[in-house]
Amino acid sequence: MKKQLQLGILAIALVTLGLIACKPKNMTSAVTGDAALKAFVAPGQYDEFYNFVSGGFSGQLAVYGLPSGRLFRVIPVFSVDPEKGWGYSEETKPMLNTSHGFVPWDDSHHPEMSQTDGEVDGRWIFLNGNNTPRVARIDLTTFRTAEIIELPNSAGNHSSPFITQNTEYVIAGTRFSVPPDNANGDVPIDSYKKNFKGHLSFISVDKESGEMDIAFQIKCPGVNFDLSHAGKGPSHGWFFFSCYNTEQANTLLEVNASQRDKDFILAVNWKKAEEYIAAGKGRKESVNYAHNIWDEATHSGTSEMRKEVLVLDYEDFDDLCYMIPCPKSPHGCDVDPTGQYIVGSGKLAALIPVFSFAKMQAAIAASDFDGDYLGIDVLKYESVLHGEVKRPGLGPLHTEFDGNGNAYTSMFVSSEVVKWNIESLEVLDRVPTYYSVGHLCIPGGDSRKPFGKYMIAYNKITKDRYLPTGPELCQSAQLYDISGDKMQLILDFPTIGEPHYAQAAPADLISPNSVKIFKIDENMHPYATKGEKESKVVRDGKKIHVYMTAIRSHLAPDNIEGVKVGDEVYFHVTNLEQDWDVPHGFAVIGANNAELLIMPGETQTLKWVPEKSGMFPMYCTDFCSALHQEMSGYVRVSPANSNVPLRSGLGDTAPVSGE
Amino acid sequence: MIDVNKISNLSKGLLVLAAILFVGTIFLPFWKIDLIAPQYPEGLALLIYANRLAGDVEIINGLNHYIGMATLHTEDFVEFSILRYILGFFVLFILVTAIIGRKKLLYFLFTSFLLFGLLALGDFYRWNYNYGHNLDPTAAIIVPGMSYQPPIFGYKQLLNFGAYSMPSSGGLLFIGTGLIILFVLLYERNVFKRFFKKKTSLAASIIGVSLLTLTACGAPGPRPLKVNEDMCAYCKMTITEPPFAAQLTTVQGRQYLFDDITCMAGYRKDNPDLKYDQFYVSDVCNTAVFINVKEATFLHSEEFRSPMGGNIGGFAYLDSAAVYQAKYNASPISWNDLIK
Repeated sequence: MKKQLQLGILAIALVTLGLIACKPKNMTSAVTGDAALKAFVAPGQYDEFYNFVSGGFSGQLAVYGLPSGRLFRVIPVFSVDPEKGWGYSEETKPMLNTSHGFVPWDDSHHPEMSQTDGEVDGRWIFLNGNNTPRVARIDLTTFRTAEIIELPNSAGNHSSPFITQNTEYVIAGTRFSVPPDNANGDVPIDSYKKNFKGHLSFISVDKESGEMDIAFQIKCPGVNFDLSHAGKGPSHGWFFFSCYNTEQANTLLEVNASQRDKDFILAVNWKKAEEYIAAGKGRKESVNYAHNIWDEATHSGTSEMRKEVLVLDYEDFDDLCYMIPCPKSPHGCDVDPTGQYIVGSGKLAALIPVFSFAKMQAAIAASDFDGDYLGIDVLKYESVLHGEVKRPGLGPLHTEFDGNGNAYTSMFVSSEVVKWNIESLEVLDRVPTYYSVGHLCIPGGDSRKPFGKYMIAYNKITKDRYLPTGPELCQSAQLYDISGDKMQLILDFPTIGEPHYAQAAPADLISPNSVKIFKIDENMHPYATKGEKESKVVRDGKKIHVYMTAIRSHLAPDNIEGVKVGDEVYFHVTNLEQDWDVPHGFAVIGANNAELLIMPGETQTLKWVPEKSGMFPMYCTDFCSALHQEMSGYVRVSPANSNVPLRSGLGDTAPVSGE
Repeated sequence: MIDVNKISNLSKGLLVLAAILFVGTIFLPFWKIDLIAPQYPEGLALLIYANRLAGDVEIINGLNHYIGMATLHTEDFVEFSILRYILGFFVLFILVTAIIGRKKLLYFLFTSFLLFGLLALGDFYRWNYNYGHNLDPTAAIIVPGMSYQPPIFGYKQLLNFGAYSMPSSGGLLFIGTGLIILFVLLYERNVFKRFFKKKTSLAASIIGVSLLTLTACGAPGPRPLKVNEDMCAYCKMTITEPPFAAQLTTVQGRQYLFDDITCMAGYRKDNPDLKYDQFYVSDVCNTAVFINVKEATFLHSEEFRSPMGGNIGGFAYLDSAAVYQAKYNASPISWNDLIK
C-alpha cells in the first residue's frame, strides 16, 4: 500500500515536471568568436568608413567611424548646441531662422550624401528637418552646416532629402498634407479631401558652390508622403515616393489610414517636369520661406526671406505622375543599384513587392491602367511587378543594397534583417536585431556603387542590451559583417538622439579634404581682429563692441572697464592661432547665453547684456595650453549713470587707477 | 467490522490533504500565458486567477489592438465573479466526503470534479477562440487567414509572438487535487490490487506515462560542452579540446558528445539503427556554440592536430574558414564526404 502511495506521488510529480520543462527559451545574443576582431580598430588607427547618422529628435547629425562604432563628432544642424555656440553666437543665429522666426530645434531623420554619376562623392551631406520643414546642406570639408532652406507648402518634411544621381536636385515630399501657404489654412480639419494638398519640392543644387534653390514644386493630392528615392541609370529622370493615408483620413490615422489593401508609390517623371517648367507652365505662387546660408569668408550666416515658388499642379498634366499600387502603407521606397528595380516596403504587409522600371515604362506606353486615383493614372499591379519576396518576415521597413545583386530589408515587427536576391526574390539569410530595427545602412547602399562590406541596423528599442540608465535608455546601432554569405553581428554601439537613416562612405573619399584651420588673412568678418594690436573696445550708443583676440594663453583685451548696466556688449573673439587643433572657447559669468567655440582663424560673437554692476570674469573654455587656466580676464560693470570711462587693455596697456 | 461502503482512513487523510491543497486554487494564478518576442527580452505574461486577470494585461492590450483583438478586462468575464465560490464549494465538498467517508459520495465528488474541470477547460477554450478569431475588420495589420487563438497547453507562434500557455500554481494544484481524488477512487475500487495480481507492472505503466509527458516537447538541441569532464561517446576519452568537439542528438532527445568530428562519424557508422535527429560541430572560431553540420563549412589540414587525428575543423562563417584555409594550408571537405 505504501508502495502504491509513493508511486502515485511520483507520477504526479513527474507529470508536473513534464509540463513545466517544455517552456521554450527566449532568444539569446548570437555574437560569435571572431566578431571582436572584425570590429577592432587599434588605438591610433583610422576607421575604414565614415558613418553619418541622423540624430532623430536631437535634430543633429552624428559622425561615427566604421567598423569601430566610435563617435567622432556631433554636427549641430537644426538644434541649438550651446557647446559649440550654434544658435547662440550672433553669426549662427540666422541659420535657424524660419518663416516662424527663430526655431531652436528640429527632428532630423534622413541624411543623404551628394552623388556624381550615381556614386557618392563625399562633398556634401543633406539632412531633413522634419518638424518645421527644412533641408540642410552640410559641408564635408568643415563638417559644418553650410545652408538651410525652408520648404513652403509643406509640413512634416519626412520624404526628404533624397537626391538625383548627379545631385541635380534634392527632393522633399511633405509627410503631412496641408492647405497651400497662399490659401486660407483656417478651414475645418475634416475638409482634408477638399483643401489639403501634398507638395513635392525639387531643390536644385549648384554644381560648384552647392547652394540650394527651390526650382519648382509639384502639387499633388493630399496624402502622406513617407520616403522616396531617385531613379538611377536607366530610371534616371524619375523619382519614386511611397505614400500612405491614401484614404485621406484626418483623424485616428493609426486605424483610418490602414484600411486600403494597397496604397501607392508615386512615380514622378521629373525630366518632364523640367520641360514644363522650361516651357513656362509653372505657376508662380506667393509664399514665405527662409533661405539661410553660411559664408566661410565672413564666418557668418545670413537669412533671407523668399516670397515666391514655381508650382506645377498635377491636375494640369497627365504624363507627370503615375501611381504604382503597393501593399499596406509603404514606408521604404528603394531603387536598386542597377536602377531597374523599385522595392516597396509595406510596413503592414506580409510580403515585399519589387517593381520593374522597364515593365513600368511598357505599361505607361501601352496605357495599361487600372483606373485613376484622384486624376492620377494607376498602373496595374501585376503589369509592373517584377515579383514578390514571399514570407520575408513581419513589418518590412527599408531596403539597402550590397552591389552584388542582394537586398537587405529591415523588419520592424519581427526584429530582424532579411537578405534576399533581387533577381530570384529568394530569401538567403536572416539575422535578429536587438530590437525593432528601423532603417539600415550599407556604405553607398542607396547609390549605384555600394561598398557591401558592412551593414548597420539602427534600432528603435534597446531594452536589456546596455546597462540601464533610468527610464530613458541608450539608443543604439548594430554593425553586421556582410562580406560572407551569412550576415554576422560584430558590434553594438550607442548613438545620439534616435537614429533613423544614415549614410556611410569610404574614409579616403572625405578625410583628405578635411579643413584644418581657417586662414586669418582670408577672414572677412566685419569685426575680425587680425592682430593683438588691433584689439579694442568701441562704444556705439548702448552697444559696446569688444574686438578681442585669443591666442595661447591670453585674451586681448583682458581688462575692460566702463561697461554700464543695460549696455549690449558684443564680444567679437578672433582666434589668432594658425595651428591644427587649437580652438579657443569664450565664456563670461552670468551670460544668458552659451559659450563660443572658435576655430583657428575664425571670428565669433557672443552677445551679453549685464543686468547688475560688479566684477565679471571671463575665460577660455577649451583647454588650449599649459597656461590655459591663466587665460582669463575681467569686465568691470558700473551702474547705468556712472561716469567710469570706457577703457581696456592687456598687460602694460591695462587700465591703471593707482589705487 | 469493516463497512464496505465506507472509505479507509488513508483515503480520508488523502482527501483532507486534497482539500487543503485545493484552498490554494482560490488565491493562486490558475493559468499563465507567456508571450515571447525578440523586443520583449524580459517577457510578457498574462496571469489568470480565479477572480481576475493579472500580469502585463495593459501592455498586451496595447499590442493586440494592432491586429484588432478585443482588449482584455477582468469585468468582462462573468466567471471571475463566481469561480471562487465554486472552488470554495469544492473545498467543503472534499472535506465533507472525507468526514462522511461514504464511497458513493466519493464517486459523486469525482464525477462532479471531473465535470467541473472539463467545463472550465471548455470555457477557457471558448474565450481563447473568441479572442483569437473575433478581430476588428478595420485593424491596421490584417494577415489573411491568420487567427490569434492562444493554445491551452503548450506553444504556438502567433505572428511575431510565441505564445506559451500552461497551468500555473493554482492550475497545478487543481490537477494535483484531481489526481489525488482519482488515486483515492482507484484505491477504494481495489484497482491497484487487481493490477498487481495480474502482475502488470503498475510502476512501469505510471512511470512510462510520466516519461512520455517529459519527452513530449520534442528533441532538444545540443547542450553546452563541459570541457575536461564530458567523455567522448565513441573513443571514451575525456574531451579536452573544444574546437574539435562534436555532438549528435537523437529523436528520443539524447545527446552524445565526441572529442573529434571523425569520432562522431565513426559512431554514426557503428550505430546505423539509432534514430538520429541532428549533428553538430564546434565552430573552431567560437567554441562556445555548437553549429549544425548543415550550416558548417569543413576544412581538413594535418596542421590542425585534432585529438583523434581526424584533423577536421568546422566553421560557422565562410570568411573565417577562408582565413584558416590559407593559414593552415587546409582543404575543404563536405559533410557527406566526411561520413562516407
